[in-house]
Amino acid sequence: MSIPSETIRRCIPHRDTPAGARYDSVIDLARVRAAHRALTVDRETITADGNTAAALATLQMWRCVLFAGFPITPSTKWIETVATRLAEQPGGLKRVKLLEAEHAVADYLVGAAAACRDLVFPTATSSVGLDHMTETTRSLGASGLGNVLLINVYRATANFPLCIEGDPSDTLAHRDDGLIQIVSRGKQQIYDTILQAPCLGMHQEVLTPTMPGYYGIKDSHRSERLTLEPDREIHAFQDRWIPECPLPGLINGDTAFGNCVTSRHFQGFKVEQKRRIERAVELLPEIGADFERHFGRPGLQYFDATGWADDGVADLAVVTMGPDFGTFEALRPAYEQHTGLKLAGIAMRLLTPFPRGAVRRRLEKARVVLVVNQAHHPGRGHLTLDVADALCDLAPAPRVVSAFAGLGGADVSEATWEAMLDGARGALAGQPQPDYRVYHEGRAL
Amino acid sequence: MTSYKETALKESFFRPGSTLCPGCMESIAFQNAGRVSDNGVKTVFTIGTSCAEVSSLAFPDVVAWGRGDEEPDDFARSFSIIHNVFESAPTVAEAVRDVADALGACGALAEPIQVMAAAGDGGALAIGLRALLHTIHRRARVTVMVLVNEIFANTGFQYSPATMPFADTSTTPAASNSPGNPQLPLDYIHLAIAGGAELVAQVSPAHGKLFVKTVERALTATGTAVLFVPSPCISGWKFADGQTVELALLGARCGVFPAFTWERGIGGKVLDCPREAAERPQVEAFLVEQRRFQHLVTRDPEGRPAVRPGREAELERLRAWTQQNVERLYRLAEFT
Repeated sequence: MSIPSETIRRCIPHRDTPAGARYDSVIDLARVRAAHRALTVDRETITADGNTAAALATLQMWRCVLFAGFPITPSTKWIETVATRLAEQPGGLKRVKLLEAEHAVADYLVGAAAACRDLVFPTATSSVGLDHMTETTRSLGASGLGNVLLINVYRATANFPLCIEGDPSDTLAHRDDGLIQIVSRGKQQIYDTILQAPCLGMHQEVLTPTMPGYYGIKDSHRSERLTLEPDREIHAFQDRWIPECPLPGLINGDTAFGNCVTSRHFQGFKVEQKRRIERAVELLPEIGADFERHFGRPGLQYFDATGWADDGVADLAVVTMGPDFGTFEALRPAYEQHTGLKLAGIAMRLLTPFPRGAVRRRLEKARVVLVVNQAHHPGRGHLTLDVADALCDLAPAPRVVSAFAGLGGADVSEATWEAMLDGARGALAGQPQPDYRVYHEGRAL
Repeated sequence: MTSYKETALKESFFRPGSTLCPGCMESIAFQNAGRVSDNGVKTVFTIGTSCAEVSSLAFPDVVAWGRGDEEPDDFARSFSIIHNVFESAPTVAEAVRDVADALGACGALAEPIQVMAAAGDGGALAIGLRALLHTIHRRARVTVMVLVNEIFANTGFQYSPATMPFADTSTTPAASNSPGNPQLPLDYIHLAIAGGAELVAQVSPAHGKLFVKTVERALTATGTAVLFVPSPCISGWKFADGQTVELALLGARCGVFPAFTWERGIGGKVLDCPREAAERPQVEAFLVEQRRFQHLVTRDPEGRPAVRPGREAELERLRAWTQQNVERLYRLAEFT
């Protein structure tokens, strides 16, 4: 008896996995890769704002074919930039998917990322846009869908009085969502971070969505020089870190996503989720080092550091995040000369999971640690709590002084930095310190 | 078109093991739609949080989805399902469709897939109306089944925008000074047509052949197909065991949710529900079988439905609403 040709065509071998069957040959990724149209053939330097840097990074990845977005409140311009570029390059595989709300974008990312676990599905959001996604971002954080790339432009989240300028209260409010949050400052770092993020999120032992972010206005809207790498080099780098996902997707699998469980079984899922995101802490510097070898610029790190001597000793160490750290870097030598103190600092890059061990090792020989929080918090500040937790088992532990500055995206001026440093010097002298101080325009409020 | 008998012999994607209430129409709908989808094309199914989801996708209990006892060697018979939050099923389905189309466009996916979504009326017409309408508006090539049991059954039988007037729900309780739900239901069929759907139907498996034929047609649609499935809920509507199909048939025939099919460019028809009220079963016959309407109707000594004293006005309004409902669908059927 002959077998109908129809039957022969469809008998595709499958492989059993813990998540169901995977039909390995159903999706031919090489064809997606071949369909990519290079944006940049040779390394080139352009002038770009942060949103453009983010858009170009995603456009250069062969794994990004669908760009889902909503104009966003407030707008980030990422989706417009992607749309404009694609409009100038008709006929390609990549396309913009406009949805009716941020919530819909997040839902769309779930479906797309689950449909094909080997492609990267990017979007950008900000502020209340991220809040609107929350119902689904919290599912995403636990989903195992590391191929979701949610770029967040830090702007103050829903609050009274309304302020939509660039402070990181949105990303800090969403730390429990479960996504890997990486902070960038400067256009080059935005671009480079986005190129590396899927390597971390899609690693087989991580499988956790990533949320690279940068400050609204200060970095999103201001332009500076940006080096673009050739697409082929980006692909070569990413392909080293992103193998085919061994787990089935909705299209190439016979599988189920998003089951519900009783509390008895919930524990195991959560333990696995914690292990995966903790593995990201271990892998991040490896990916960063490989990036630096490939492109000659610093790759992912737990934090940017300035002023640290080899012995790690500092009188006063600053911990903060974002572009205002640059002002501290600029004034640090003069302040050291003026006060005779040894000053150093770090600007966090990996925000969630918080790299406790690395922060502790960096700060353990500081006498006083000044933590500068830039988002409203009902207590001592998000960063302060993380830093205090990182240092708590040291004996003696550095004294932690908490400050708020740059709330609502206000510039943290040299005068404000000096006021904060002057305030923290009191701790060096053993003076009692308040739980926190709020600074603006060179004085404590 | 496959014959009804052939379809009945196919393997459904909905399998034993769910904890849905015995006699739940959702289960019957899934079993039937599941057989229709065993058509040589791989199926991806998306589902929002609902009775159907929590009762069929609980780990480590039996997952009541999938075709066959083992994952099939035949890719075209493979089946995948994803659950996401209440309102998301149409959007998630649209995303799957887009990815498959993108892969297909560059030759990376040679095999076709079909995408189906399911949500309850709470998920699709209350919290998820935005998602449903915009997926329709974007003409996504997916089939969306909205299982209309007229309540938020999963969370305790609360009012939904599809609840019939005067129904007793846990948030529109009937009492001496309250006749139950005071709202008219959302005109969701009209909304789906106006939104841009290619195919819109209201049909339950009580009309077995029509249901199967409609699902079959929906799966070949080039735009969005929306199937509203009237789903008598034994726990929420409070009727006796074994009456699910009978009530679905009676509700359709008396004009509460007439069987209706419509296609863009062709128009539609109302089936098995005459336009004239006198030619249809009386709505009281439908109401009296359900304790959610026991404050309106009862049985007389001969066992016939009878209005409760003092509720004549409400019943009259319900009759008028039913007639308007039928008239509205006949008019919609004329629209192409």
